Amino acid sequence: MKYWKQIADSFLSLIAGFFVGGIIIWLAGFDPILFYQGLLIGAFGNLYYLMTTLSYAAPLMLTGLSFAIAARASLFNVGAEGQSYLGALAAVSIGAFLAMPNLAHQLLIIIVAFILGGLLGGLAGWLKVSRGVNEVVSTIMLNYLSLYLSNYLFTYQFYDPMRAYKTKDIEATAVLPFVMPGTDLSFSLFLALLVSFLVYVLLWKTPFGYEIRAVGLNPTAASYGGINVRRSMIMSMFISGGVAALAGAFEVMGRFHCMDTELTYIKGYGFDGIAVALIGRNHPIAIIPASILFAMLKTGVQAVQRYTSVGGRTGVPLELGLAVQGVIIVFVALPSIIDMIRRRMR
Amino acid sequence: MMDLGILSIFTEPSFYLGALRLMVPITLAAIGEIITERSGVVNIGLEGIIMLGALSSVYVGYFTGNLYLALSAGILAGIAVGILHAVISIYLAGDQVVVGVGLNLFAYGIGVITLYLTWGTFANSPIIPKGAQIPKLYGFSPFVPFTIAVGIAAWYIIERTSVGLRLKAVGENPRAADSAGINVFRVRFLATVTGSVLASLGGVFLGLDWLASYTRDISAGRGFIALAMVVFSRWNPIIAVLSGFLFGFLFAVSLSIPSGIVPDQVIWSIPYVATVIVAAGFVAKARAPAALGKPYKRE
Amino acid sequence: MKGIRKIYPDGTIALRGVDFSVNRGEIHGLLGENGAGKTTLMNILYGLIPPTSGEIYLRGEKVEIKSPKEAMENGIGMVHQHFMLIPTFSALDNIILGKEPLSGPLTVDRKSARKEIEMLMEETGLKVDLDTAVENLPVGIQQRIEILKMLYKKAEILILDEPTAVLTPIEVKELFSFLRKMRDSGKTIIFITHKLKEVKAIADRVTVLRRGEVVGVRDVKDVEIPELARMMVGRDIKMKIEKKPPSLGEEVLIVRDLWVRDDRGREAVRGLSFSVRSGEIFGIAGVEGNGQSELVEAICGLRKVDRGSIILCGVDVTGMNPMKLYSLGLGHIPEDRHKWGIILDFSVEENAIVGVHRSRKFLNSIGLMNGREIFKWTDKIVKDFNVETMSLKTPARSLSGGNQQKLIVGRELSKSPRVIVASQPTRGLDVAATEYIRDLLLRMRDEGRAILLVSADLDEVMGLSDRMAVMYEGRFTGIVDPERVSEEQVGMMMGGISIGGIS
Repeated sequence: MKYWKQIADSFLSLIAGFFVGGIIIWLAGFDPILFYQGLLIGAFGNLYYLMTTLSYAAPLMLTGLSFAIAARASLFNVGAEGQSYLGALAAVSIGAFLAMPNLAHQLLIIIVAFILGGLLGGLAGWLKVSRGVNEVVSTIMLNYLSLYLSNYLFTYQFYDPMRAYKTKDIEATAVLPFVMPGTDLSFSLFLALLVSFLVYVLLWKTPFGYEIRAVGLNPTAASYGGINVRRSMIMSMFISGGVAALAGAFEVMGRFHCMDTELTYIKGYGFDGIAVALIGRNHPIAIIPASILFAMLKTGVQAVQRYTSVGGRTGVPLELGLAVQGVIIVFVALPSIIDMIRRRMR
Repeated sequence: MMDLGILSIFTEPSFYLGALRLMVPITLAAIGEIITERSGVVNIGLEGIIMLGALSSVYVGYFTGNLYLALSAGILAGIAVGILHAVISIYLAGDQVVVGVGLNLFAYGIGVITLYLTWGTFANSPIIPKGAQIPKLYGFSPFVPFTIAVGIAAWYIIERTSVGLRLKAVGENPRAADSAGINVFRVRFLATVTGSVLASLGGVFLGLDWLASYTRDISAGRGFIALAMVVFSRWNPIIAVLSGFLFGFLFAVSLSIPSGIVPDQVIWSIPYVATVIVAAGFVAKARAPAALGKPYKRE
Repeated sequence: MKGIRKIYPDGTIALRGVDFSVNRGEIHGLLGENGAGKTTLMNILYGLIPPTSGEIYLRGEKVEIKSPKEAMENGIGMVHQHFMLIPTFSALDNIILGKEPLSGPLTVDRKSARKEIEMLMEETGLKVDLDTAVENLPVGIQQRIEILKMLYKKAEILILDEPTAVLTPIEVKELFSFLRKMRDSGKTIIFITHKLKEVKAIADRVTVLRRGEVVGVRDVKDVEIPELARMMVGRDIKMKIEKKPPSLGEEVLIVRDLWVRDDRGREAVRGLSFSVRSGEIFGIAGVEGNGQSELVEAICGLRKVDRGSIILCGVDVTGMNPMKLYSLGLGHIPEDRHKWGIILDFSVEENAIVGVHRSRKFLNSIGLMNGREIFKWTDKIVKDFNVETMSLKTPARSLSGGNQQKLIVGRELSKSPRVIVASQPTRGLDVAATEYIRDLLLRMRDEGRAILLVSADLDEVMGLSDRMAVMYEGRFTGIVDPERVSEEQVGMMMGGISIGGIS
């Protein structure tokens, strides 16, 4: 019953977002209808576009899940960026510099990536629980640390001497195969879907997840029920970090097979994940369509410029498209933000 | 003269001038947040406020070429955001952390949109006309002594005046302050707006002096470093100024040291590592105002 | 104060048309038990709460007091039960807060303030260290600071709310002699208390409140303690609850020499020893704040025990985690259901398993939570305990207070506890729900469980318990049979007089 209301709210905000976005397009002198047509075609118009859109959904799903897991414990993990970098680090270091048989190779990367990201997240959780450090501050600082660490290792240790600014390619045994050759969509999508499902099961079907949610909603009552509040908080940050790391790892293993030393290939997924989580109301199942929506805006906007170049006029530039994307995101995320603010008011 | 190699940067006066300028934004934001937190309100949105201060002053500065208008724009932005935060967090008793995070996201987005809509770019805005830039006195920016003065003034107000006494009371035990006849909401409101204006001025400095333009990453985590500095300075504005120098120094080092023995990345990460260490209280743990972050409700 | 009425938005009537008057230069006691309305009445006088209706006349003139500031301007000062001091401030800063003397535009003139306060300390004999942070000073000194605060702000009417709750006997003596001095110098003092001996010792006149009404006003020299006790507690209609005689079993809850500290570090429970047998309801009555909450929290694993032991069904459980206690046979109906007992945003189902959520019966073979078993469990609770809800998946927030409490009670009872600790179980509930829960408790008792009932509602405790103890300052002032004890005796016990009684 309450779910329908939430979905309706999100839907209405989506419409509102599209509407306001359209106004911005119009103010900038372009045709909004054309813009949105271009957006949709760019996202789903043909098979190639569709595959591309879905390929972006995978990392977004994972970073979205990351934020959502911690949010369920009432914690703000803004560190998905840094945690995803560590995942990429694990993928590159193990994938390119160790020789292992297929399947075992990928599995090792996944496990190490999860642990590295988990440690980073868990550190922030521990700092909060034992030293009272606000997790927003600590995770953002750790983002920078992770960035510099990865940057350093990529540039000096894992680089490819043949190509500037790129790491060595990972072995074929570490790769996630493409669903369709010629597209960007790799197995990572299915793995991301699997993780979404696992997170759902974890949070709603295990005592461990139950405790995390209880702690997030009423820590006093949780301790009355015998739950170890501190442990739940740290563990939720650990898992949150681990899942975010998978985003980075899968991008290396699936799409790129390497990473650029400045990590621009995966920059931004962490923060975008926050928006995805908010759109999906911090629920793993809702995050799936939320990530697809976000991915759709991402690919759509890239194609829009070409599409809107009709009759000799230059099309809507990328930056404007990105701005509209931002507006739509803000609108759809708003109900969730208002909810979270209201929680204290009760 | 012996060849000091890397260490030669420490003999350059420009290094120290640079360090001084680097300390301005984080110190102003930190002092502002000290005032806000002492009243019991936490403002995680400092990063966003810095960005908005920079954005508004650059925007107005670009089109008017007038320094004073640009400054006013920055101050007004600070007031507006401060009021928004105050209303939601204080009067409506909303979750202060969420409001702050929301502010950050919002500011980032507005910055990006404005960058595009006004200057058609996604990276840097053009440099603002000279008339809007902050002039230098004797080679360094008047904002530096201004920041120091603000720190001293803040300390004096907090420790020696009745305003400060009430401020502290509200942050430690709002119920007792209420019972003593103090208007808790009003004190917190004013503290939050003041803090916001100071943070905004930090952003104004970045926009009108440091870069003389706007870019989307203009703040680069400074707002969060300021939050950590508040803890490190034990909520004391004078120590905040000193720790501002320290962080400015670290930033300057990270910018000036040529790559060599120590990898760049290690240097760049120093300010951020320092922040975590400081925030965790591994150095100088202090007690926060007791009512920090808790909305006050009258029975 | 004339015709003061106070009705809260949720319908609770705190004061029903109270007329209260005090003469200048007297010490006036305001006596009553829980919920009588004494603190509410004084909070209205001090401007912290607005009255729903009624008028206040000061020195013959009608006044409106809308805030503590206005009260202070009218010469009224109040020292609350929980001190209103800033812990990190010095005594000096605490005293001048709100009325700081200024030298120059904003600067506080601490020097002249100090001089004035030192003079005040001389005059009154209340000496305190002005410069140490108040949190590091002993409670007795803190109270002096509160009093100095009032006097510094030129209060002529001094209101003290349960001032002796935190004092040692010597400090009480000192306080009383100080109060007499103040009275003799023309100040007026209103002294809120539930302690009968104190009223006799210090007050000139006393007003007794009960359930928001004035029972009587007396000159203290003309009235004796038993009469005061009767007035404080007197029941016109004795609540009739049908009860079978208890069939007692073994002792399932034993508390031995228990000492527990409260949040301020003071001993709230002082060497308490008692036991509860299966098949009986052991009630603890007493004015709130005498250690009852701390006792319950200690027994239920939510507060550390300083000294002593707790034995549950033969096992020493002192210091154990709540989940362990639940598995050993404890059920806890907590005092503040929104804070402790229920997670409002969880569904009815999810709330029904709090405390037993890890138990094997709710897990299936692969370690995941078994929805069907949880459903069965919750369904049974909802049906057996009459919890009205649209479905088992609705959030607990949408349930009424009564149904939330029924859910909590149902949950605790479904754990088949051998010992049930019920703390304020019917607080805030409507008549139907209240009756239901009380019936339930009796049924549990008849089934052979042991129930420890702690309630501020004297009727409830007396009506339900087989044996009843009255708690006062961390100890029992008596353990009695509620059917045989007189109102007077109960009043005396609540007011601090020990009666041997049964054990």
